[in-house]
Amino acid sequence: MTLADYMIVSALLFLIGVFGALTRRNIIGILMSIELMFNAANLNLAAFDRFLHPEGLVGQTVAIFTMTVAAAEIVVGLALLLAIYRNTDTVYVEDFHLLKG
Amino acid sequence: MLEHIVFYSLSALVLLSALGVVLHKNTVHSSLFLGLSLAGVAGLYAALGADFLFAAQIMVYVSGIAVLVMFVVMLLGRASDLHLRQVNEYWFVALAICGVSSVGLLRLASARNATLSAGAAHPSTHAIGRLFLGEYLLPFELVSLLLMAALLGAVFFTHKETKEIAS
Repeated sequence: MTLADYMIVSALLFLIGVFGALTRRNIIGILMSIELMFNAANLNLAAFDRFLHPEGLVGQTVAIFTMTVAAAEIVVGLALLLAIYRNTDTVYVEDFHLLKG
Repeated sequence: MLEHIVFYSLSALVLLSALGVVLHKNTVHSSLFLGLSLAGVAGLYAALGADFLFAAQIMVYVSGIAVLVMFVVMLLGRASDLHLRQVNEYWFVALAICGVSSVGLLRLASARNATLSAGAAHPSTHAIGRLFLGEYLLPFELVSLLLMAALLGAVFFTHKETKEIAS
């Protein structure tokens, strides 16, 4: 296995996430696609750490920080989503136009 | 040889279930696929020898985030959502964006041909703990502050405002 294999997998995972975030109408689907993108970045960090810098662990450490931030992001995102759903009664992003009045 | 089998089967699992997340009509199924995809990424961490990252991925993502998303999916929405289109009308633009970026990303990736250095990976938990409490102490404390803020924010946003009866 070379580094290129891992990078290709993570690039494809990232692009699937981008496609989902751009096309899903359901806001939970968008949040899930964002999680996929975070995972692609983390996979890249772990692969670079193992292949290019095998004696250090900085890549894995940064990946753990990313994971923590992703957990905080999804928690606040889902809480906001529940609050929005309570007010607008819909989960589709094209119906979220409260700011237009 | 075994390494190849493990890598390709895990990659296929990750990518196919990620496609399931993005393309499936039913959001409940899509959140189940999300858990599968994250578990596959955990397997790739294990193949890379990142044991602490593997455990953290299983604990935080597969049994935390995926389950949380599943809860919210079941709280929201209605049965009629199953018959609605789940993809907006600009999907071909998104596909073009992804196609163009995939060319660049794949060319960038194929230029890297570093192979794995000889020798098995060492267990990394001890060294990561030392990094957290040594060189990365400040980000470590900041991240704990961020988690505290996220906790408070989640409680604040989901808190239902009750009318004050007394007064």
